[in-house]
This record gives sequence, C-alpha cells and structure tokens, in this order.
Amino acid sequence: MLLVSSKFANDKVTIDDSSPEGTTRIHVVFDKGKLVTAEPVSTVLFMGGG
Amino acid sequence: MRRVKPKLLLVIASCVLSLFVSVGLTADEQKQLSPQDQKVIDYLVSDWSHDTVTSVDIAMTTLKVEPSEETRFRLGSYIKAHPELHEVIRRWGWVTLVLTPDEKLIARALINAQRDGKPSPGVGEIAKAVGISEAQTKRGLAVLERYEILKQVNKTAGAGYSILPQYVKWEPRLDFLFHKVTLDSGRQFNTN
Repeated sequence: MLLVSSKFANDKVTIDDSSPEGTTRIHVVFDKGKLVTAEPVSTVLFMGGG
Repeated sequence: MRRVKPKLLLVIASCVLSLFVSVGLTADEQKQLSPQDQKVIDYLVSDWSHDTVTSVDIAMTTLKVEPSEETRFRLGSYIKAHPELHEVIRRWGWVTLVLTPDEKLIARALINAQRDGKPSPGVGEIAKAVGISEAQTKRGLAVLERYEILKQVNKTAGAGYSILPQYVKWEPRLDFLFHKVTLDSGRQFNTN
C-alpha cells in the first residue's frame, strides 16, 4: 500500500515500490497527479482520498 | 529501622545512575560514529520527523556520502542499537530503515520459500527473482548475515542460508518493504 500526499499534486513523482509479498518491483510515475506509467502492467492502483 | 544518611544516599544514587549510563551506551558505541556518520543520523532523525521512513542508503546519497557498505553497516548497526533515537524506528523497525531495496527483496525470496515449506532458493534463483546479478546477490546475503537476519546453514542446500525464526514470523507491516519516492527536484525519501 502506498500513500502519496496531495502536497505533491503539482510535481512529477516517481515511486519505486515493493510488491505486497513477492520479489517484484513496482515502478509508477505520476505527473501533476496524473498516472504516466505503471510497471508491471498488472499493477493495481488505488487512488483517492478521504 | 536505621536511617540512611542523605550523603550516603546521594553516593548510592550517583553510582546507580553511572551504572545505567554505562549499560545504555558502551564506550565502543559512543566512539563508533564519525562526524560524517552523525550528520547522516541527524539528517534521518530530522527527515523522520516530517512523516517519512527514509532509509540509510537514501540519506547517504542525499548527503553525497561516498558509497560504502562498511559505512552503511556502521550507521545501520547504530540505528538497530538505538531505537530511542526516533519513534519511526520503534514503529517501522530498524530493518525497514537500514536495508536497501535489493537486500529486502533477497530476504523476501528466502522468507517466502521458508514460509511455504519450499527448498531454499540458490543464488542464481534469488538473483533472477530479484532482478540483480549473482555478485550483487552474494553481497546482499553477506549483509543480511552480518545483521543476523540470516544464518549460514548447509552450503549444499540452496544459497546456504536460512532466515532466523523471528523474521519468518515478522509482522506484515514490517515485512521487508520499501516505498521510495523521487521528486522531479531530485529529493528522495521513503514513505510508509
């Protein structure tokens, strides 16, 4: 699970993440809050706020 | 009951206090950080106070400390021995803050096999699963052994290491995870 604060909403943000359990690496890029890339393609993203 | 003189009481209290101080921080531990090491620790403690769980490798890169496994191990050992430095160490565990992503994934490869009752993977299998070279895998295994997360077992079985029981039963939130954030400005940190 990854939480990225909205304080980076105007930034380009690159996230390198461990998968929940395995040895897969997740690489996600956001630009101004919009998803640019997510690897591997099976990556599931939950975006939102409360 | 005989009354203890206040002066004697003061001497006893002083001795007890000295004993506590010497038990809490040995002379070796006090000597082990160089001024540059202290800068890295100060950076981390400050960063953790801004809702991050930034790791030692990122702090060293940010402060342009020459990459060195020995320095990283010294800093990591200090953090492991001093959970009182910051709540983040106590909440997220020293492992989260001290190991690199490669080392965490190597540990996971071994833990998952052990949890699932599968044979311990060999160096080549771990390297392939983690996406690094065999030489990098061997270096990572050596670091994990140095931190007493792994111990050497029968060299003929897999990579020749097994995970210590407490890490097999590790809490999921501490399970050798990393979430590294890189901003366009170049700033890097870990989040939880």
